Amino acid sequence: MSLRRKSPDLFPVHEARLPSGLRVRMVPDHDAPVVSLYTFFQVGSRNERPGITGISHLFEHMMFNGAEKYGPKEFDEVLESNGGRSNAYTTHDTTVYYEDFAADALDTVLDLESDRMRALTIDDRSLRSEREVVKEERRLRVDNEPAGLMDEALQALVYQAHAYRWPVIGWMGDIEAIRREDCEAYFRTFYAPNNAVLWVAGDFEPDSLLRRIRKAYGDIPRGPAVPEVVNAEPPQRGERRAQLRHPSRAPSVLVAYRGPAVADPDTLTLDVLQFILGVGEGSRLQRSLVYERRLAVNVGVDWSWRRDPGIFAFHLELQPDADVPAAEEALYAVIHRVAEQGVEPREVEKARNNLRAHLLREFTSNSGRAHALGTYELFLGSWKHGFGLPEAYGRIDAKAIQAAARRWLDPTQRSVVTLIPEDGKR
Amino acid sequence: MSAAKQRHLRAVDAGRGLQLHRFETPGGLPVTVAQRGRIPLVAVRLVLSSGAAADPGGKEGLADFTMRLLRRGTTHRDAHALDEAIEFVGASLGLFAGEDQVALALTTPAESLASMLGVMAELVRAPSFPEDEVRTERERSLGQFANDVDDPSLLADRALLRTAWAGHPYGHDVTGTRASVGGFGRGDAAGFHAAHFGPRPARLFVVGAVDPAGVAAQVEEAFGAWAGGPERGFEVLPPVGIGRAGRVVVVDRPEQTQSQVRIAGPAYRRGAPVQFAAQVVNVTLGAGFTSRLVREVRVKRGLSYGVGSAFDTLRAGGLFSVSSFTKVETTGKLLSVMRQEVDRMRKGGPTRSELEKAQRYLAGLFPLRTETNESLAAVLADMALYGLGDDWLDRYRDRVRAVTRAEAAEAAARYCFPDPPLTVVVGPAERLRSQLEKFGPVDVLSADDVL
Repeated sequence: MSLRRKSPDLFPVHEARLPSGLRVRMVPDHDAPVVSLYTFFQVGSRNERPGITGISHLFEHMMFNGAEKYGPKEFDEVLESNGGRSNAYTTHDTTVYYEDFAADALDTVLDLESDRMRALTIDDRSLRSEREVVKEERRLRVDNEPAGLMDEALQALVYQAHAYRWPVIGWMGDIEAIRREDCEAYFRTFYAPNNAVLWVAGDFEPDSLLRRIRKAYGDIPRGPAVPEVVNAEPPQRGERRAQLRHPSRAPSVLVAYRGPAVADPDTLTLDVLQFILGVGEGSRLQRSLVYERRLAVNVGVDWSWRRDPGIFAFHLELQPDADVPAAEEALYAVIHRVAEQGVEPREVEKARNNLRAHLLREFTSNSGRAHALGTYELFLGSWKHGFGLPEAYGRIDAKAIQAAARRWLDPTQRSVVTLIPEDGKR
Repeated sequence: MSAAKQRHLRAVDAGRGLQLHRFETPGGLPVTVAQRGRIPLVAVRLVLSSGAAADPGGKEGLADFTMRLLRRGTTHRDAHALDEAIEFVGASLGLFAGEDQVALALTTPAESLASMLGVMAELVRAPSFPEDEVRTERERSLGQFANDVDDPSLLADRALLRTAWAGHPYGHDVTGTRASVGGFGRGDAAGFHAAHFGPRPARLFVVGAVDPAGVAAQVEEAFGAWAGGPERGFEVLPPVGIGRAGRVVVVDRPEQTQSQVRIAGPAYRRGAPVQFAAQVVNVTLGAGFTSRLVREVRVKRGLSYGVGSAFDTLRAGGLFSVSSFTKVETTGKLLSVMRQEVDRMRKGGPTRSELEKAQRYLAGLFPLRTETNESLAAVLADMALYGLGDDWLDRYRDRVRAVTRAEAAEAAARYCFPDPPLTVVVGPAERLRSQLEKFGPVDVLSADDVL
């Protein structure tokens, strides 16, 4: 049973484009009186420069601090008073805003969202306060969290020239230095309708909704073309290593290989490889490092799509007394075996089954449908490619996976960060 | 064959178009099937009235440990074969222990439902607890404790739980302690399984685009022969007050630049009639992005990225707590603002407009709580375990809308710390002490004391 054949029955997608360039996608579903609305902006830390790193994320916070019609903090006040909730997130490549709400609040939400796209106001007082909030967020996620520290060290090791080098949340000094004028320029450049996609899923009639969207967003003018991001990353000429000393109880290892950009056909092959290596209790790394060798407490594999070449990463949370070099070698042995001997057809089939189930799981809620299809549209060029993924994975065979492992999981293209416990009471 | 037998499917209208189909297997397992949606993924949830509160003294963490071992081998298959059976088809299975329930939560492609029900039945009926798997799981759990030290938020939650409910069966983390887990052997897990697993204290829920009669036949095929075990689930006595009330417990982490902060007092048991008024109070004080706490702590003062309040309620009792974090230097200031807001709520309750806003917020978002098959299965299980009633889903929104200002004010007066609360802070004790002394006598613990 392929998803593609079933998809027209699962949910139809209606699409339109406003003269301003705003793309609108609608997924009606009348099971429950709720709606989810996503606004995707094609901007993230990738579009930043040194000195203002973290502005994409700080700006995401500023989007809740008032516009023309609704003043500071009124966005959530009005939304929550009408039976809704909001949140947002920023990545290297995207900034995403979303609301879940009672269906009868739809017009209010369109009013709120279009108001801030039309005329966000940025005042110094809000910026000052929000800057402190973001610094606390950084202390929470990075400075007091070893996994955050390691990830930050890893990105700076893998990338020498590309903007993926700095953390999405930004360096502490840069968060401190971002000015109101920087935010205003950022808004004008990146928050225009032609750089956004609107996804709405839930209890509404698409024709009526499109009319209401035209009314709410129709007068927002198109913005300038978004500046291209230069990828000046030089080739890597051998393994790179960094070590962090931290008062942890247990050591930990983060290993990354330079991978392709999302547009590369190998991206989907690496999706399959990710499942074979590290997703599930029966995956190769889980079996070897956790259950057979008992070196690791947990093993994670992260292959996240990115617009420019990304990284294929492994995170080993080790036993307190584990020998770190031995754990690294055990990981490399598993990778080497795939590159040299390939994978079993049954493993490929299992990975495909899981990727299909994963896709179906994303489609089980309004929010999930809007988020998944919106993400596919941004990264794959069309949401339709999302529906086609199970077929695309079906075309990837064991031979292709071995070739991709050989090509991308090359020891000379590796960057390694180790976390070494040290006594906290210096 | 049992599947051919006559089954008595009883339909119950749960409101808003949701029909629940019920029957009982010959062994006494109550089964509920809810047919809905179009996505070919089915959620199955098997819950047992058991849990960490049933851990024997000195064996804290045993319910959780036993649950994790269920899929590490049965009398028919080893761990690898079980993992393959589940994961090959794209199903996923979670095994959980809470304070007063344990659960197996499965999501499976619809076409594999019958075989996955078979796997689930095998796990609960015939786990073999192989010695080497017990050893691996024990080492893994101990290793996890070492990794947990690095998570200040988790340390704060653990310290809160074991201090607030010290001496009560709820007074330990479900994962247990290093000392207790270090002593677990095969016999412990096997003994816990024998004492707690059986069809009568269990309930099975199947939710998805399924035919109830067909599912009933598949369930009976898988679970029909499951019999024996305990007559009923375990009981737990209500806790009396909370531990170290009026005191400040600091878990010392000298290297931290940010403190994790918790304040807690006693609340009500799960399902108590006051819950609707209490939720209105909670939303107004500390849920969402426009609560009083968010406004005072985050928006006005930039003291934290997050602050919130919550009622955590269980079968025999509950806790009301307020949580946040801030840089070490502003910990005392944050605590003052948190306490001040809770005091203000206790004295006056929500205003009329706050009450109405909280009611619209709770009612408007309520359908999202059961949007996925997994979440509906979990809510149906809670309805059964905590005696919330079959009309729970149908009536929730009306009950929230019916809360009056007087009822909300009364709930605020009862739960917003009328007696001195327990305060827990994770951070550098030396630098924190002078900021914390005004909130009560300070007790300093090491991270090891809470693991």
